Amino acid sequence: MDSVKMYIAFTKKAFMRSAAYRFDVWTRLVSNIIFLLMWMSIWYALYMDKDEASGISLTAMLTYVAVSQFLTAVNGAGTPLWELQEKVRTGDIALELMRPFDVPLRYLFADFGSVAFYMLTALVPLYVFLFFFVDLTLPTSWVTWMLFLVSGFLGFLIRYCIELIFGLFTFWLIETGGIEDIFYFSVSLLSGSVIPLWFFPEWLQTFAEYLPFQGIYFIPNAIFIEEITGNELVVSLGIQLFWVAVSYAILRFVWRKASNKVVVQGG
Amino acid sequence: MKKIIEYVRLYFRLVGAGVRAQMQYRFAFVMRIVGMVAAYTGTAVTMWVMLYQFEELGEWNFYELLFLFALAVLSWGFCIILFFHFRSLDTYIVNGTFDRFLVRPINPFFHFMAMKFDIGAAGQFIFSIFVFIWVSNALDIHWQLGKILFLFGAVIGGVLVQGGLLVFISAIAFWTTKSERFYWVVMYPARNLTNYPLAIYPKMVQWVTAFVIPFGFVNYFPAAVLLNKETPYFPSYIGYFTPLVGIVFFIVAYYVWMLGLSRYKSAGS
Repeated sequence: MDSVKMYIAFTKKAFMRSAAYRFDVWTRLVSNIIFLLMWMSIWYALYMDKDEASGISLTAMLTYVAVSQFLTAVNGAGTPLWELQEKVRTGDIALELMRPFDVPLRYLFADFGSVAFYMLTALVPLYVFLFFFVDLTLPTSWVTWMLFLVSGFLGFLIRYCIELIFGLFTFWLIETGGIEDIFYFSVSLLSGSVIPLWFFPEWLQTFAEYLPFQGIYFIPNAIFIEEITGNELVVSLGIQLFWVAVSYAILRFVWRKASNKVVVQGG
Repeated sequence: MKKIIEYVRLYFRLVGAGVRAQMQYRFAFVMRIVGMVAAYTGTAVTMWVMLYQFEELGEWNFYELLFLFALAVLSWGFCIILFFHFRSLDTYIVNGTFDRFLVRPINPFFHFMAMKFDIGAAGQFIFSIFVFIWVSNALDIHWQLGKILFLFGAVIGGVLVQGGLLVFISAIAFWTTKSERFYWVVMYPARNLTNYPLAIYPKMVQWVTAFVIPFGFVNYFPAAVLLNKETPYFPSYIGYFTPLVGIVFFIVAYYVWMLGLSRYKSAGS
């Protein structure tokens, strides 16, 4: 119980820290708005004079993009990966390893705090405004709302684990330049963050369905616009849970290896 | 004239040292180029997937879109070499290391510009030249002298527009001691925006990218001329103004930077 309290203290601290760096929040919001504008314009132009494509209406598609940009902002609000990599590079991570908390959990709880601040002060107002003034669709029942929130949260956990696993490879590789770019590109495409999986070529769609990335954006987005319903919904949430479990297990494994290596190298 | 030749010689002397330093880390250098090429290829693949079912984006097909993108990447490559480090002027000011650019008998703007020469930009050149060859084949573009000269002018204009904006952003640091942040908030998203034909955006956005922050001249207007595409709301010959717009925009940026410099006070540590 005490340890839960300790982690929640990290959440509170991160929340307050974000409040101190409000300029950061505003600038991040500006770039989110530009990307939102960009992707909504792109999809509007792609549909041109069609009302629907592959059974998806233009309104549903624009909603998909808006929700996706919202989740992108949420996922990007935590401690950036390079900050952790920098700690590895400079050896500061050793100090954190000596302390009586679990480093991956500590950063996860801190991220909850920064995300909460960003959502309350910037994201929620912006997107309420957007849904109010632009012709987008909202879920018709509160169950969909609840399931979307659950799914979005699971997606957040999947992204957190995968990104951290990737970041931990800096323990072994000094130079991650090229690999990093390929990693981020794969995540952005295969997660369906800007193009939903149903518009992919068939082979690519099949490929993406076997990977964890679709759980980050595609599943929550599709739940929101009620493209995933009934039985499929249960299966999708199951898939997300499965990937949370798998990526968390891998994270634990890689973390143990990595921290041993720090000890062996003497920090 | 003599002074210009002197400065050109000096530029290569200064950046030559930087290049030799970068070549000491050969593995990092290669990895950076691989990363650059991979990242741009990633955007190209995303464009391909996007048009797999839809075929056209605002009447631009995949190859035309790729051409538009590669033109931006090409001039961005030169921009990285010449001006990319301007965005981090704030770090120099805050750390007090900017003062060393003021105590030498050369123009501080020039000195700051010659401080860095990022050979990692080879990634941009590899990607864009490969795409140009590929797209020219696919779209059957014949590169006569006129077109080559036009492309040359477009790249110079594009470099000056983007470089000018980087100079503007760095000048903000003289007043607010912040600049890097503005790059990531304004210029990075704006660069992404112009990877797609401006015709798809609301009229307001098109107007701003033509006359306020003239990003439209980096790739959209010149590409429209080279590919014979229509530019709604704008005359089709607007692309010919690219070099002129670049020169004017850059000169304005330069004077704003010098103005900022004149009111610069050292961090005084």
